[in-house]
Amino acid sequence: MNLYEGMFLLDNNVVREDWNEAKGTATGILEKHGASVTTARRWAERSLAYTIKKRNRGTFLLVHFEADPGNIAIIRRDLELNETVMRYLILTAEGVPEGESELHEAELSGDFSVPEPPEDHVVDSDEEEAEEGEGATEEAKAEEAKAEEAPAEEAKAEEAPAEEAKAEEAPAAEESATEEAEAPAEEASESSEEQTEEKSSEEA
Amino acid sequence: MARPVKKSNRPCDDPRLDYKDLETLSKYLTPQGQIHARRRTGYCSKCQRELKQAIKRARHMGLLPFVGS
Ligand SMILES: [Zn+2]
Repeated sequence: MNLYEGMFLLDNNVVREDWNEAKGTATGILEKHGASVTTARRWAERSLAYTIKKRNRGTFLLVHFEADPGNIAIIRRDLELNETVMRYLILTAEGVPEGESELHEAELSGDFSVPEPPEDHVVDSDEEEAEEGEGATEEAKAEEAKAEEAPAEEAKAEEAPAEEAKAEEAPAAEESATEEAEAPAEEASESSEEQTEEKSSEEA
Repeated sequence: MARPVKKSNRPCDDPRLDYKDLETLSKYLTPQGQIHARRRTGYCSKCQRELKQAIKRARHMGLLPFVGS
């Protein structure tokens, strides 16, 4: 079992109805595949930097969980298929940051309530395409690619100093290690460097 | 946390740049949303990559804009 950090962008429509249900959608997928959730809490509700799934706002859930690295791919797949989870990021983590447990506990207490997310103006589908057409290509693709790829597996690819390190940067010794269960988004391009890093972080 | 020692404006063993730290990341973006070049950040290539990665993650999550969007 390795420790991971997961960030999930949740559909405000679901959040509005019931935070615990929205949260449970994400944590439920993790648990369904044998992961054990250490902490889970609302990180923020905010407007998005660009339209995602026709939404301009969303609620972010921050989770720390332990999982068998071999199950990350299937967890990802389920996340892809889920409508409540609009985006997600899964990274390996070195530890649960201070304060997370308290925030996690606080949400479990009876008097915790989530502020109602503000109304969003829902965008027409055309606009959404525009969003993904621009710089977003890799990310956007990844969105779809997600289903087919098994990034988690590839992530295992041993040390190889990531040839990929792209033109822009010399491959610098890849030891940043901390958090590379790279997001689906990354696969399209520079991901391999990142994923190789992950390996080192997962050896623990 | 030993990292290759290179000339950098940022001590390489500083805490990792976190995609959630939008305030910090924003400092490294042009008004158009482009990442500052290394000569501007003064980072070693490793730190620069870390920066880019953090920004990329933030973008993926809709926390930072893509260039031109
Ligand atoms: Zn450095």
